[in-house]
Amino acid sequence: MRNIADPLAAEPLSLSGTGRAWPSVEERSQAIIAALEEIRPDMILTIPSSTLKHVLAAFEGRADIPVVPLTREEEGIGIAAGMVLGGGRPVLVIQDNGLGNSLTALATFPQAYHIPLLILVSQRGGLGEYNSMIHTFCEHVEDIVRAAGLRAFSLDGRIPAEQWRTAIVKAFEYAQITHRPVLVLCNLMGF
Amino acid sequence: MTRQDALRLIIQEFPREPIVVTLGQTVRELVALGRSDNHLYVLDSMGLPPAIGLGLSLAPAARKFAKTVVIEGDGSLLMGLSTLATVGLLKPERYLLVVLDNGTYASTGGQPTAAPVVDFCRIAEACGMAARDAHDEAELREALRWGRAVRQPALIRAYIDNTNIPAPYFLEDPVGLAERFRRYLEQS
Repeated sequence: MRNIADPLAAEPLSLSGTGRAWPSVEERSQAIIAALEEIRPDMILTIPSSTLKHVLAAFEGRADIPVVPLTREEEGIGIAAGMVLGGGRPVLVIQDNGLGNSLTALATFPQAYHIPLLILVSQRGGLGEYNSMIHTFCEHVEDIVRAAGLRAFSLDGRIPAEQWRTAIVKAFEYAQITHRPVLVLCNLMGF
Repeated sequence: MTRQDALRLIIQEFPREPIVVTLGQTVRELVALGRSDNHLYVLDSMGLPPAIGLGLSLAPAARKFAKTVVIEGDGSLLMGLSTLATVGLLKPERYLLVVLDNGTYASTGGQPTAAPVVDFCRIAEACGMAARDAHDEAELREALRWGRAVRQPALIRAYIDNTNIPAPYFLEDPVGLAERFRRYLEQS
């Protein structure tokens, strides 16, 4: 039985009939950390999600990859896009309901101006979620992003954690060669 | 002081520095004064120019220039006002934000904004920025020289009247605008 008081406590769900556990929050977080270490952004811009705490903690206090708290996700879109125009290499790390705060900025600036950006997005509101209302927006995010013409890839518990790192690094590269923002929707709790 | 008077003074003081220009009538009147590859024309994205300028001021290319300038309107600044906190947090000393304040949404018919009851300079100072007002061309000329010299992020609130100079819609492809600006920064 999942401990609701500590929803991120490791109790791996298992795929029926396989005996193989889904990757834990920690395993998925380590894969994201490894990907960011490989990408080596010059800044991580964030409004944190509770499911991202392991990822952000790994970079806390680092001078080589500073973590900058934003006031709004939308602001982070502008800062990141401005940095890229000036030769910078930022990555945004936000929660998926923050995309609701960012849609116009995303569509009218980096998407329209063909500015490459990697945005790591923690998905909330699915199986394993402890917040009783967050799904009211989050479970629609994939449809919203698709309707807005934004390119997104999804990672969840059905994908082995060791593949997350490669996928995120490739998403960064894909943003560069397609000259646009690319979102990686990461479900760290379940699917 | 009209908007175009203020724009003319800004580009005279900063002829080669990167300038992020807010949408609507401001872009159109600046283009009417002459196109320039050091100007990044933001065609929509209300509220975003201060953040775009912040990112630019932190980027490697910014080190080639004395300042990164943002020209913003009062209505759009109110939409992105919290960005001043992030400016204060990151403290880019090359960041200069010039707010052209006529207390209205000029591009949509002149509806009033809340700017008359907002002290932008005190908000900027509370966020760790330097700030000053300019009420006419002489004061703005002096403020811009101060803005060039100050060694911290700064805000200038330039009071302008409600004159809108007739100017055609600016309809260029934003992809081309970004590329010209990016190459200007790269090749400077």
